[in-house]
Amino acid sequence: MTSPRTLIEKTSLPTRRALIQGSAALAVAGLGAPSIARAADPIAIGSLTPNTGGGGPFGPNIAASHRRVVELVNGMGGVLGRPIMLFQEDSETNPEPSARAATKLINVNKVMAILGTWSSSVTLGIMPMCQERDIIQMCTSSSSDIPLRDAKRLVFNFQALSPVWGKAIAELCVQRGFKTYAIMALNNDFTKSMVDSFVAVVGKAAVVEEPFNYNGGQSSYRAEVEKLIARKPAAVFIPSYVQDFTAIYKEIFRAGYEGQVITSSLSTGPQFVQAVGKAADGIIHGFPVPPIGSPVYKEYLAEAGLKDTGQVQHPFGTAGRDQMSVLLLAIEKAGTLEAAKVGAAIHAVTTGPGKTSVTNVVDGLKALRAGKEINFNGASSSVEFDAQNQLKSRAFQLAQIKDGADTVIARLEETT
Amino acid sequence: MIGQLILNGFINAALLAPPAVAFTILFGILKFPNFAIGAYVTVGAFAAFAVNVQLGLPIWVAVVGAMAAGAAVAWLSDALVFKPLRGHAPVTLLVVSIAVAFILEQCVRLFYGGNVRGFDLALERPMRLWGLRITKEQLEILVISAVITLLVHLLLTYTAVGKAMRATADNPGLAEVRGIPHRRIAVFTWLLCGAIFGLSGFLAGLDLVIEPHIGWNLTIPIFAAAILGGIGSAGGALLGAILVGIAEELTVLVLPTTYKVAVGFLIITILLLFRPHGLFGQAEIKK
Amino acid sequence: MSAYLVAMATYVGFFMILALALNLQWGMTGMVNFGIAGFYALGAYASGILTAKAGWPVGFGMLAGAAVGAAAGALVALLSVRLRDDFLAIVTLGFAEVVRLICLNEDWLTEGPRGLKIDARPFGSVFGREDYALFYLALVATAVLAVFAVAEAIRRSPYGRVLRAIREDDVVASVLGKDVLVFRVATFAIGAMFMGLAGALFAHFIQNISPYTFLPTVSIFIWMSVIVGGAGNNKGLLVGAGVVMLILEGSRFLNDFIRVLDAEKLSSIRIILIGVLLIVILRFRPSGLMPEEKFKPTSD
Repeated sequence: MTSPRTLIEKTSLPTRRALIQGSAALAVAGLGAPSIARAADPIAIGSLTPNTGGGGPFGPNIAASHRRVVELVNGMGGVLGRPIMLFQEDSETNPEPSARAATKLINVNKVMAILGTWSSSVTLGIMPMCQERDIIQMCTSSSSDIPLRDAKRLVFNFQALSPVWGKAIAELCVQRGFKTYAIMALNNDFTKSMVDSFVAVVGKAAVVEEPFNYNGGQSSYRAEVEKLIARKPAAVFIPSYVQDFTAIYKEIFRAGYEGQVITSSLSTGPQFVQAVGKAADGIIHGFPVPPIGSPVYKEYLAEAGLKDTGQVQHPFGTAGRDQMSVLLLAIEKAGTLEAAKVGAAIHAVTTGPGKTSVTNVVDGLKALRAGKEINFNGASSSVEFDAQNQLKSRAFQLAQIKDGADTVIARLEETT
Repeated sequence: MIGQLILNGFINAALLAPPAVAFTILFGILKFPNFAIGAYVTVGAFAAFAVNVQLGLPIWVAVVGAMAAGAAVAWLSDALVFKPLRGHAPVTLLVVSIAVAFILEQCVRLFYGGNVRGFDLALERPMRLWGLRITKEQLEILVISAVITLLVHLLLTYTAVGKAMRATADNPGLAEVRGIPHRRIAVFTWLLCGAIFGLSGFLAGLDLVIEPHIGWNLTIPIFAAAILGGIGSAGGALLGAILVGIAEELTVLVLPTTYKVAVGFLIITILLLFRPHGLFGQAEIKK
Repeated sequence: MSAYLVAMATYVGFFMILALALNLQWGMTGMVNFGIAGFYALGAYASGILTAKAGWPVGFGMLAGAAVGAAAGALVALLSVRLRDDFLAIVTLGFAEVVRLICLNEDWLTEGPRGLKIDARPFGSVFGREDYALFYLALVATAVLAVFAVAEAIRRSPYGRVLRAIREDDVVASVLGKDVLVFRVATFAIGAMFMGLAGALFAHFIQNISPYTFLPTVSIFIWMSVIVGGAGNNKGLLVGAGVVMLILEGSRFLNDFIRVLDAEKLSSIRIILIGVLLIVILRFRPSGLMPEEKFKPTSD
């Protein structure tokens, strides 16, 4: 799954994908291997990405981004004169194996930070042990509990919290003027706060039925779909993962529902379109998006070997790139690996006006070494943190599937 | 709405009945619940996907491919694992069957990853009959399922090979003494059941979504249907499938949807408490 | 590395308690429990909720975790003591799934999918960080030894012998009457109590539990531990628990050195390896690594 995967990419055959994976993996073979580790005392950094499970479509991109940034920086002699050693683990999108993986990263590999956790349950699950050992966490998780539980302020979130998603998608939906909504959500933390904020916004101008939850991994979703469409709502909102959404959407279509289907973009993408075919047309989906069209996003596309299609590609891979870049710049800036100081330096290199704007780690390191103050602007967002280490804002986009591809129908730009 | 829910329940049942029948037959010769059946279903679904989408062949070829693949992995799992391990406690073999399920599912993952897939078939809007909605595809699933179940029932009841299968299931020793070639009957049973699981994979791929967990998600409802019907009876498994299918739909009227997954288990538990051998099964003396 | 080994040894300790408890239930009563994860979750959530939300001291929380496990075990056993093995397997699996669904759905009590954060730790303020890890390992090791001792004592008791003699034969069991029934239920409940205790120990170790921690895979890994180690042999299944954890964790180190396989394939191969190992061991050592010891006529 490390092959280039985009939101609009056509399905590739597994055999070809396997070949690409093999060669990509070979190209980075040796990275972080003990043989090069003996030079100058290396800096160990952990990467814990959802390569399998619910985050499977996204984890490999994040992992690959982490690797690329580390390679770039090691090519420049590392930071603080020390090479970077990257240790990568699979979170399986499940907190139980993640806890063991994090135990290994922290105790065996002696990492000073763990980057790339995706599902909130994983980010929250490893938080106690990270806090205890002063390990910095960088994640793309949306649970509102993250800032609440981060007592030491060591968790930096590169994703908007889900209430922000719900609000943004809702505001874009309000413009479409639907009169009645029904909502069913996958039963997880990510969707719960999203639904609340969605209802708060659309509820002002429309009738919203009582939202209900469902569990994934079922042998049928017919009963849920009947309940959802029973009163013929003008629009249905279904925050979900792609595995369950695909089965649910097929059922909605077969049930003859003619209203508007709205979901988060996590549930769509090229595989979804392959799986449901032409029936996918018309679905509206919303998402925090990278600054498409900006120079830094184009940089990312070049780094990842992707063509500029004008569409959202690698929504989380961009965040992975920004995580590793920001961390390494902050270490260089802090001049130490001490967590509190690196944390402060993360704010220093990302946030605040009047600084030299940089868009990649190489330029950033050069500027820092030239004695300049920098503000890192990322491929995922402008990366400006508030006091709780959450993004001040992210761009949102509402897209509609037409002829199997996403057509942008509304955008909310970053507000800073 | 009740009418639609019950019709939907029959479509659920159509997906569950053939594998429940196959499971119940297999149980007859194995004497333990084979958890690998879900993996056979998954292999069937992906085989059909490979034939239909990757090779671009027509859908009926995909059905044949799914049945062949299902039969092949089922037979292989017996030849390589279950046959050599015969004689172990049923519970040990149950755990082994879970291991087989893991192995097969992860092998599928190795080649296809965890993403969602679908056949090269357009989704259809429903027809409306007496206020009820049904698609042509769902009708086909109902018919295929009914035909398969009927055929298996006829095979077991009226043909020599079917009678031999039942005799072997009831008492392998006695069957052997009476000149029934036990091993050949067992191989035939495995191939037959494997093909049915493969076909179920195809049907499930049509109805749900093709991903490595597809078979595992169906396993408990299949067990519920087979146990409800009383192990060993094709007709019972069919009735069990209908009851489970409808119960899953109707429970949303009284229970929160998030507890729906528990319905299959609850049915099994409540039933077994009052009828320890299933709704239609007869008491058997354990050996 | 040593801190990691200490942590992993602690994890193996949880597995060992679960495996000992399972062997007690299965080996003594023949009752097949595939709901290990459910009792484990009940213990973890009971102790977690009582300490984090009701402010109970950790020690009482853990006792409550064990008690809740025992109560649930008694209930499940009473309801299903006369079921066939294979049906019981499915019923108990269902029990664990229902427990997990409750943990997932009843936010007001369990914090639902976001997971329950548990700050309380036994003697948390007494030790420094590294000493604390060692202390916790010692605590878990003590629990393992205690559970082992109880399991062996029950196995060697007169009742244990009777139970083992009749576990193969339900017909005899039903003739033997009420005492046997009561003892089977009690033994099952004791096993479930240990599982609850393991859950409570785990909860205060990991300090953040969520419903996804208690998937059926936990139960399956424990069964594999018992079968690989040698069903019926308490020492063997300690080895089995270690072997299963070794494969689960050992493959991580492979990943640090071999970069040919990407992480997604590696996690698949890890599971395939465990499955193949189980089959191979059963093929060549049909009774597991350490078979059940036969009773000597003069044993204590």
